[in-house]
Amino acid sequence: MIAALRSGVAGGRLSGLLLVALPVALLIWLVLWPVLQAIVGTVYFPGTGFSTASYAYFFTDAYSLRNLWLTLWVTALTSVLRVAVAMPIALYLRFRSGPVAALVQALALFPMFVPSVLVAYAFIRVLGPNGIVDTILVALHLPKLASPYLTPAGPIIGLVWDGLPLTLLLLLSGLGRVSIASVDAARDLGAGSFTLFTRIILPRIQSSIIVTLAFNVLGLFSAFTLPFLLGPASPEMMGPYMQRTFSDNADPLNATTQAVITFAFCAAFGLIYVRAIAKGRKAPA
Amino acid sequence: MNRREFLMASAAASLAASTRFAAAATKLDLYTSSDANISDFFSNVVKPAFEAANPGVELNVVIARPAAALDAVVQRALAALASKSDPQLDVIEQYEPMLPAGGIEAGLWTDFQKAGLANYGAVNKLAIQTAYGLPYRGSQVLIAYDSTKLPKDKAPKTFADLVAWIKANPGQFIYNRPDKGGSGGNFINRVVHEVSGRDPQKFKVDNFNQATADEVLAKAWAVLNDIAPSLYEKGAYTSGNSASLQLLAQGAVTMIPAWSDQVLQAIAKGVLPETTGLVQLTDLALCGGFSQAVVPTNAAHRAEALKFADFMLSEEMQTAVIEKLGGFPGVDWSTLPQALHDKYADVIPSSIPTFPSGEWTKAVQDGWYRNVAPNISRT
Repeated sequence: MIAALRSGVAGGRLSGLLLVALPVALLIWLVLWPVLQAIVGTVYFPGTGFSTASYAYFFTDAYSLRNLWLTLWVTALTSVLRVAVAMPIALYLRFRSGPVAALVQALALFPMFVPSVLVAYAFIRVLGPNGIVDTILVALHLPKLASPYLTPAGPIIGLVWDGLPLTLLLLLSGLGRVSIASVDAARDLGAGSFTLFTRIILPRIQSSIIVTLAFNVLGLFSAFTLPFLLGPASPEMMGPYMQRTFSDNADPLNATTQAVITFAFCAAFGLIYVRAIAKGRKAPA
Repeated sequence: MNRREFLMASAAASLAASTRFAAAATKLDLYTSSDANISDFFSNVVKPAFEAANPGVELNVVIARPAAALDAVVQRALAALASKSDPQLDVIEQYEPMLPAGGIEAGLWTDFQKAGLANYGAVNKLAIQTAYGLPYRGSQVLIAYDSTKLPKDKAPKTFADLVAWIKANPGQFIYNRPDKGGSGGNFINRVVHEVSGRDPQKFKVDNFNQATADEVLAKAWAVLNDIAPSLYEKGAYTSGNSASLQLLAQGAVTMIPAWSDQVLQAIAKGVLPETTGLVQLTDLALCGGFSQAVVPTNAAHRAEALKFADFMLSEEMQTAVIEKLGGFPGVDWSTLPQALHDKYADVIPSSIPTFPSGEWTKAVQDGWYRNVAPNISRT
């Protein structure tokens, strides 16, 4: 879109607009319109007028707030863990090549092709009670693992693994902007690995990290399968909670209210993402 | 295959497809919201048998999970009844005929007593709750345990024994979240029965009352919170029927509540070992029930739907319910071969208490999430 507008020629502008017309129309029809419907549907009731009672209920209901709080901290912790785990792999892949690097890359990207239901069941077989890890520990005469299955740690471990490939790819594309020459120059001047990372690499990939975090937050906020299969019954993450409110309690009003609140948080992170992109565009490439 | 061969092959395939559509003039829409073992049974066992017996009729198995999705389909059928249009629904494999409210009064469901089914006389009289539902299979929640850790003669037979056993063996019992599969849900319902005088008749689909619910459920939460610290991981709850069976199979726990059909199927397939013990409480059994098929009176293919209902009561299908599904037959055991009767003598239930769906179930499920599930101490 930006490229087409930048061309400055009237014909190019028109064809650019035509090119984006379809996705924009889809966005309005499938995303913005339902969002608007949801917001209006939770505050305006034909016949009785405006009421924000369902929002007041959500923000005074300790149970709902606990679920929201759990979602926030699981999202924050998982996003940070994903970047922390993916960063060393990304650095390794950026500055090394050869068969070992290719193998590392293949292994790190593998979770992308595994559906999360399979991740959940594999997790139970490996890290669950009397799973493979326990079998190995017992064979070595070590105490059994305190299994993370059905604890808050369960979904976090599952989600970190599941989201590793996307995080890695985003960080790798950011690291592509760090020239090997500047790294070599800093090394020649006597910079250690830590200095190199904090003074040369980190400033160049700051916006990539923000983009990565924003992407992760958006995905994690609506995570359903892994929190549902691996996590505790309560507190629930917003995904399972919304589903349960909607279908088991047959309560579309409160379910929609939960969805709008979740959307508001995601929209805030979406804004951070858009700003990071815009900043990246302005900065000389 | 080159391009010409490909074109010829696809032309032949589309011709075959069009003639097939011409032959299968009637597509019977069967809805189910039951677990995968039931929908698999319909797709892999019932569908081929029914289509072979009724040429020209195609059975379309529509999976509408969770149950609330089916409620929306039923609401649509009720609306279609008022506007005299096609409900796009011919049979539901299992639905509470008392729902939706006012459905029976509006004439939504077919009265099976007057439908003239040849096999209706064979139906187990104990299983008939209403003429608007056709009980064609049953199952019940019972207690499954690992008999290598707990000898059969020590297995709990009453609710008090069960609670005592759970407390004496911390970490060895788990039940699943009530809305994610009935084995945990019916364990909780059994607690509700226990604190309200062991009389399942007190809870009916149309007698929900908030004051009674608050009083009875508060007592039930007290019992459940009392045993919570003795459960697996000091109060963890699995996410479904299969997740409980998996923990039992992995030897992580010794005892779980389980559906009779699922546990029998798991033993038959070797998912659970032969040493799995099954026991039912004798002071009041855990809940179960007969699945009631319903046929809307305004179904576009009502005649075929009734033929299908009759087919489900045939000896062939009732035997399949027992042997392929591990369920109880909907017809009287005496109408089935004696050999079958003898083989399954152990699981033939003497009573099957029920718990009503609708408001009561909603109150139990959401109340459990708010009052029992959060009380977990990991220290």
